[in-house]
Amino acid sequence: MRAPEPLRGLRVVAAPTVLDALPWPGGVVALRLAPDDLFALGAAGTELVGALVEEEAGFVGWWFTPAELHDHVLEHIDWPLPAARPALAQGLVAGVPARLWLTADRVLLFTAAAYAHELIDRLP
Amino acid sequence: MSAAGHFTLDGTRLPYEPGDTVAVALLRAGEHPMYGGTLCLAGDCGNCVAEVDGIAYVRTCQTPGREGLAVNRHPPTGPPPWHEPAERHFAVRRGQADLVVIGAGDAGRAAAAEAERRGRAVTLLDAGQETEVVAIYAGPTLIARTPEGMLHLRAREFVLATGAAEIQPVCPGNRLAGLLTARAAQQLHAAGVDLGVAVAVGEPPAGVPCTPIHGDLVRFEGIGSVAAVVTSERGTERTTPCDTVILDLGRAPRDHLSRMATGLPVTVVGSAAVTFPLPPAPTGGIVCGCAGIGVDALESVWARGFNELELVKRASLVGTGTCQGAACMPHVRAWIADRTGQAPEPFTARPASRQITLGEASADTHLDAFRRTSLHDEHLAAGAQMDRFGGWWRPWHYGDHLAEYRAVREGVSLGDVSTLGKFVVSGPNALEFLQGLYPTDVSTIRVGRSRYALLLNERGHVIDDGMICREGEDRFVLTFTTGGAGNAEMWMRDWIETWGLDVLLLDRTMSLAAINVTGPRAGELLARLGLAEQPKFLQHLRGQVAGVPCHVMRLSFTGEASFELHHPVDRSVELWRALLAAGADLGIRPHGLQALFALRLEKGHVIIGMDTELDTTPRRLGMDWAVNMEKPYFVGREALLRTATLPDRRRLVGLTMPGPAPMEGTPILSDGSVIGHVTSSFGSPTLGQAVMLGWLKRAPFPEQVAVDGRIATVSAPPFYDPEGLRARA
Repeated sequence: MRAPEPLRGLRVVAAPTVLDALPWPGGVVALRLAPDDLFALGAAGTELVGALVEEEAGFVGWWFTPAELHDHVLEHIDWPLPAARPALAQGLVAGVPARLWLTADRVLLFTAAAYAHELIDRLP
Repeated sequence: MSAAGHFTLDGTRLPYEPGDTVAVALLRAGEHPMYGGTLCLAGDCGNCVAEVDGIAYVRTCQTPGREGLAVNRHPPTGPPPWHEPAERHFAVRRGQADLVVIGAGDAGRAAAAEAERRGRAVTLLDAGQETEVVAIYAGPTLIARTPEGMLHLRAREFVLATGAAEIQPVCPGNRLAGLLTARAAQQLHAAGVDLGVAVAVGEPPAGVPCTPIHGDLVRFEGIGSVAAVVTSERGTERTTPCDTVILDLGRAPRDHLSRMATGLPVTVVGSAAVTFPLPPAPTGGIVCGCAGIGVDALESVWARGFNELELVKRASLVGTGTCQGAACMPHVRAWIADRTGQAPEPFTARPASRQITLGEASADTHLDAFRRTSLHDEHLAAGAQMDRFGGWWRPWHYGDHLAEYRAVREGVSLGDVSTLGKFVVSGPNALEFLQGLYPTDVSTIRVGRSRYALLLNERGHVIDDGMICREGEDRFVLTFTTGGAGNAEMWMRDWIETWGLDVLLLDRTMSLAAINVTGPRAGELLARLGLAEQPKFLQHLRGQVAGVPCHVMRLSFTGEASFELHHPVDRSVELWRALLAAGADLGIRPHGLQALFALRLEKGHVIIGMDTELDTTPRRLGMDWAVNMEKPYFVGREALLRTATLPDRRRLVGLTMPGPAPMEGTPILSDGSVIGHVTSSFGSPTLGQAVMLGWLKRAPFPEQVAVDGRIATVSAPPFYDPEGLRARA
């Protein structure tokens, strides 16, 4: 498994309705980690009233094509992937806590940087 | 018929014929896979297991004969010999299905056809087609063994059509060879195996030459192999000489899988769903052939009060052997019913229902994932011996823990404390939340200040500790122990929801790294790297160190002036290297946990989980000062109020004694009796004696105790710098 790339952005914690209403500029990928927790990949410098906003540098990830995902990752996932696209899925990948951002033409596998070595060791 | 090939049994070459399983070939040769016991040849019992090609407990009745196969019978007593397993990769295929039917007999095929008519997508699995389902887990997910490896199949629903097993005889002599169930006899007859003089107890199997015998089964007679069967009719026993006894004693559902699938979307059909009558309660003989448990053993445990099926199982081990109760369950239930008047429900089954190897069981499973800090490679490059602590890899030492200790006490040292739990709490109710969460009065922590705090559960027991740093009127940074961070998050979220508070909580544990710069020259080092304004003891501020944005917390776990630099994980290596470079002339070196544990012990600081127990209260730790009972409410307050008036015979105390430090865990004795144990110990070079923390669990607490055969003195910590002047310097 190749080295991951760092993923930088903003971590935004707020009431779900606040997060629902947030507009993000083009190029920012809003990854909803929990109803009240959002990782805005590629975002910077935003301040929001009523929200807890922190710079986030704790994630790393790998971009795959759907075919690469199928060949290298899927056999290490024993839970069903969502059918809809785009979708964020979370669970163990090869026994490592990880997340998948699934779009029609590419997939981001990402995890906490602290776990990256485990995925590198465990995935082909 | 000519032999299709040969295999070996206990080193002797034996032929097998086309279609033979190993068991059939053995019986054809006049051998028995286990020397004795009734054979079902259907995979239900454990009476044909042997070592096959180095793997023990293989069902020879389910193992096709193959050229060169090495079959060795298990020893009559004791476990089979251990063989170092060959390194082998077991592949795992994962799949998803709509409806899975397990068992391709009549009932299974009918269920599959009906489901397909209803538009379901059906997957039909059968052991006869080399897909042997061995377990069902939540999901629901089944685990099956196939020639290509293990199959993990998740489905919306399962239908179990696993049929019924034949009842085995339980009476004296039932471990002899020459006993067959009716279906086994049919199978052997069809394979051309000579059964000799065969008699049948119960309904004789169609097409098998045998003599029916009437009456109730009493015992089998013979030495090694059956020579006669004794039956009873109208009070008269009759002995019938024979070579083979064929037994049709009834059926029992083959329900392993359904018994392990309780609560899952599983439907049972066919014979597997039938409630068959139980056999007569056994009065003698071996009930559980797999584990060699006799009726006398059941009577023994029953007499000692184990009067339920699950208790009988645990106490006698009946049903815990190779067949997991398939053969003995009906008899044990009948035996209990005979005593209680009611047949108990069958006991729960647990995976696996069939013997699988450890390789198969662990196929494609992984060890727990252990986190690395962003400084992991720096530690390795510095010669660190890494070890696992609280879910992280951490440096235990860098080759000389005493040199690391001295660097802290005399100069400056770095510790990687990135693993600490780190949380941000904000929102309109943040203060109210923390007031409820912690036993300290959080409202008195001023902005820019911090405080050590215990975390208690509702019983007033200490579950974690850490720092509360106030950054604003409604913004706080909290730290927790490395091992406690995960639980702390759940704990906090649970209380926020329970109290219905408007609080925002963010776990920064893996987003922020932290380096502890500690030692009398720590401030000097930080000043060199641009931190001109430095926090005083128990203050914190935001600043830049070597150009890296840091949240600088001034505290002390080591007993020396300490600055924790919390910073983004992707800047950690840069900061670490800058600190080491700038401190080279100060003798800087990193310290590992071994040194840290010693340093904090000299200060008497406890480590939650190491020095504490599950029911440790602040009082037992001598840390009442960390609890403000004037607060109207906090988690654990009611329990502390109630227990405050009760006598308490437990104290964590400091201990000192001359000489080397004893091992942690060493018993503490008083008047020759064990009254506690040592939780932490260190031979302090600074103090010239061993210092310890340990539990005393008998009041009144003595002033002197015996540890490791020496006299130790109970001494209130801290042992080092009791006024705390160095930490505040």
